Amino acid sequence: MRCSLDIGNELTEIPRLADEVEAFCERAGMEANTVNLALDEWITNLVSYAFDDGGEHRIGVELEADTEGLTVVVTDDGHSFHPLDDAPEVSLEGGVEDRAVGGLGLYFIRTLMDDIQYDSADGVNRLRLRRLKRK
Amino acid sequence: MELNKETVDGVCVVSPEGRLDSNTSPAFEAELLALLDDSPTLVIRFADLEYISSAGLRVMLMAAKKVRQLNGQLVLCEIHEPIREVFEISGFLSILDVCDDRAVAVARARGED
Repeated sequence: MRCSLDIGNELTEIPRLADEVEAFCERAGMEANTVNLALDEWITNLVSYAFDDGGEHRIGVELEADTEGLTVVVTDDGHSFHPLDDAPEVSLEGGVEDRAVGGLGLYFIRTLMDDIQYDSADGVNRLRLRRLKRK
Repeated sequence: MELNKETVDGVCVVSPEGRLDSNTSPAFEAELLALLDDSPTLVIRFADLEYISSAGLRVMLMAAKKVRQLNGQLVLCEIHEPIREVFEISGFLSILDVCDDRAVAVARARGED
């Protein structure tokens, strides 16, 4: 089962995308919230930081469900940012005063996804996330 | 997102409803911080919240920091799945004051528990 979606670089597109992903996951018999959270965090980062020109851009989202899980591929034409290599370390240590405000979004993606791949070629960045079905 | 407010035994209880994400968090942050300026003792009830992202958790942490500065009391309650998992993986369940029930949360905010 596959589905290709396309959204603009605006935060308001995220709830609309979430509805589409939820409908897809329901048809595929999979839980949607985890994948939607990872997508939300990544797309929020793209919309906020990836496009320096202030213009309109399209972000591609492809979903593919198989018997073992769900694969999500997000493509964009902004500047590249590797979710593993470029992300600052997040410390979960300490109390309310010590904890830094921010940086949790990429940590969620790293924690919740079973496999993360990222590459950039010919001006297109491609994030591939994989989430396996839980028993 | 809607922010519903009620007063229980003199304690302000706010219930965000809907989605708390990068779209809705700025308004939630402004409203919550304004409420804390009025009174730094607050209960936040999550029963009506469908979804939270890191943008929403960021507001929780900012509110908790502000409450500390003001010597107030912030208690969170009725955090159900799937929101609970997001609090859990952030480590927030262990640093914030969290309980299951609104009545217990109000008592704790009043310093009775």
